[in-house]
Amino acid sequence: MVNPSDSALASGVNASQSSKVYRWAAFVSCLTFPLIWLGGLVTTHDAGMAVPDWPGTFGYNMFLYPVTTWLFGPFDLLVEHGHRLLASLVGLIAIILCFVARKHEPRRFGRIACWLLLLAIISQGILGGVRVLLDARVVALIHGCCGPLVFALACGIVMINSKDWKTAPKSIESNSLRWSLRILLVLTIVQLIMGAHLRHALPQWKPSLFLSFVHTHLLVAMLITGIIFAVFCTVISPKFRGVTGLRGPAAWLVGLVIIQVCLGVGTWISSYALPWQELNEFFARYTIDGRGFVETMIINGHQATGSLLIAGSLWLLCRVERRYVAAAAYGAVPAQVADATPRSLVR
Amino acid sequence: MRFAQSPIHLLNLGNVSLLICSVGILAAGCSKPSFEANRLAAASFLESQDQQKVDELAGSVGELVEQVFGPPDAPKWPENAPTAVDMAEVERCAGPVGRAYDKVERGLYRKHCVQCHGITGDGAGPAAALLAPYPRDFRRGTFKFKSTSIGSKPLRSDLVKTIEHGLPGTSMPAFGALRNRPEFEKDIESLAEYVVFLAIRGEVERRLLKRAVDSEETPSLEDAKRVAASVAELWVNASANVVEVPLIPDVPPAEYAASVERGKALFTSDQASCFKCHGNEGKGDGVSQDYDEWTKDWTIRVGIDPASKSEWKVMKPFGALKPVVDRSRNFHLGGLRGGSTEQDIVKRIVLGIDGTPMPAITVSETDPNAFNLENVFDLARYVASLTGVKPETEAATDSGTANSAKGAQ
Ligand code: HEC
Ligand code: HEC
Repeated sequence: MVNPSDSALASGVNASQSSKVYRWAAFVSCLTFPLIWLGGLVTTHDAGMAVPDWPGTFGYNMFLYPVTTWLFGPFDLLVEHGHRLLASLVGLIAIILCFVARKHEPRRFGRIACWLLLLAIISQGILGGVRVLLDARVVALIHGCCGPLVFALACGIVMINSKDWKTAPKSIESNSLRWSLRILLVLTIVQLIMGAHLRHALPQWKPSLFLSFVHTHLLVAMLITGIIFAVFCTVISPKFRGVTGLRGPAAWLVGLVIIQVCLGVGTWISSYALPWQELNEFFARYTIDGRGFVETMIINGHQATGSLLIAGSLWLLCRVERRYVAAAAYGAVPAQVADATPRSLVR
Repeated sequence: MRFAQSPIHLLNLGNVSLLICSVGILAAGCSKPSFEANRLAAASFLESQDQQKVDELAGSVGELVEQVFGPPDAPKWPENAPTAVDMAEVERCAGPVGRAYDKVERGLYRKHCVQCHGITGDGAGPAAALLAPYPRDFRRGTFKFKSTSIGSKPLRSDLVKTIEHGLPGTSMPAFGALRNRPEFEKDIESLAEYVVFLAIRGEVERRLLKRAVDSEETPSLEDAKRVAASVAELWVNASANVVEVPLIPDVPPAEYAASVERGKALFTSDQASCFKCHGNEGKGDGVSQDYDEWTKDWTIRVGIDPASKSEWKVMKPFGALKPVVDRSRNFHLGGLRGGSTEQDIVKRIVLGIDGTPMPAITVSETDPNAFNLENVFDLARYVASLTGVKPETEAATDSGTANSAKGAQ
């Protein structure tokens, strides 16, 4: 819904002011993504316990741990300590972001979002520490699920500070598109949680439990793919001819979901092979390369693309929400007409 | 014990809701991993599906075995048993994954193997149901690809080979990449030790269950130790059962073609009867397809038809997975699991594949009913030709002959 104070502010916001928040938030997002990737590596290499203590590293202050021992030591230590250092950097920049927002962000919810991000990053850091101190795979699982959510939140802050958010004309009245995207966002998050459960499968789980996670993961994958294609077809349809700014994100989502499905199949094959080895020569001869480089990259790629899908859905959702006009307020106005509605008419 | 700090003081720092949530899940879903009692074997030996009876037997024997071999986080070796495994390496593989202050990496088994083979080595890890063939259940003490005769224990080198090179066409990965980093160099050997530990532990449990059912009384701790000693003995003496595998000679191209022809004739002869399982063309489509020993133990041997869901379903509560036929190999697809060279195939034909329908053939130069060496070479060349292996290439890549195999300590 259109928030009156919001749009008033939006028009009043000085572009250079908010672009500062935008840039710092973008910085956090750009660093959070490799952080997730590195976190994935920690899991793939089971390096979570490569360093037995936290917040120190082998008794050292984390930032004073000798660089050579870190860089040239065991691989799992390299990954785990690197993850910690990068995480600290992200936390630091999030603090800066909060101060920048305090000064330059006139919208209350914009400032709250920044503080929430900082809180989320700190919690995520502590969760990572608890994982090490308690040596609990369950905490690793929660830590793994929350990582991409933090990334999505950072991307969300970027989006609400973008030019599009502030200038987008109210031009859509398709409630179904809006709801599809809301459902899509929820599904991509659910999917990520399912995926994390598959990755962090606890050794004492019964095969039937794992099986039900696999089935859910596949079902949700189909739903997500279906929704994304439906949304894409909708935004390229004649009905949306006059609406700008939706086709780009939708096309990105289509591309991402195609990559993601391929990576998902690849992840299964490179972790568990296919149960139908008599299918063809390739599968009959295929031997999983345990801890191989390509395998690791496919598995991590699948996880990272999952985060991108969440961010992508959020991106498109933001754009649609911003362009949405309650049909009730306008009656059945064709898109072009709605497009031409003077901004002053927005309540 | 590893961490001097208590995590409690962190609680007030953190986001309380997240912590409460994590503690909730911790309490609900995460008990410490423990060795599970072999309820499937108990139910099979008892020939009963009475939950209470089975649990009682499996539980009491399980406790006994735990006293002898310790829990997964603190394995121990029965004092009087001959040393069949290197306990230092076993300890390094057991327990949770991580690196303590001494910077020694621990928990290798949970890091690399547990999602398929399970904590107990029962081949029923979380992912097991989705794999075909199912991961190996070590507890029977039976291994497929080895250089010893059917029914005897494999050598360390056989296990190391499997772990290092994996098994093509199955989910068993090749962990050879571990050799590329100095800190993981010896991990494969350590893991082989742990596999042996789990196999001995599991077999002791099975034998005790059988004994308990046969004698109708719960075995004592002394019994358990005696059984442990005798099972360990088998592993210590594994190298005595190594079968000498003859080296396949190179032949000139003209003779090679004739040899392959003879092999083809033998393959489809009633004497060798390979075709009955592998099909006339070696496509794995012969009339006779059977289950492996792990499946037969709890199905055919206790009067359950593995092909009928309503019958095998009764064993599901005890951890049984859907019985799957152990299909004979289709040679045209290649990817032989015991190795694809002619020499590997000779070895397979002479040794058979333990635990599966694939028999070992008897080689004798004097007995007219048995095969002679030339017959075996002909068969091997024929099978190799079906997989597309060229005769020139494999003479150079001759892998494990029995002679080069390292004995088990
Ligand atoms: C992705 C699943 C998976 C993982 C991980 C895995 N295995 Fe396996 N393993 C299998 C399967 C499946 C088989 C059975 C293959 C067959 O029957 O042909 C097997 C078989 C084996 C065998 C028996 C070979 C024989 O000759 O009978 C050994 C020993 C073994 N695995 C050891 C290990 C060890 C040690 C690890 C960890 C380093 C490990 N496996 C990790 C799936 C896995
Ligand atoms: C009773 C059925 C049966 C007969 C008879 C039989 N096989 Fe097999 N064979 C199998 C099965 C089953 C497998 C697959 C076992 C597994 O890996 O689980 C197999 C596997 C093989 C393999 C593949 C091993 C690998 O490394 O992957 C070779 C080679 C082979 N058989 C050769 C022969 C030859 C030659 C004969 C005739 C002398 C023969 N078999 C007779 C059932 C049979």
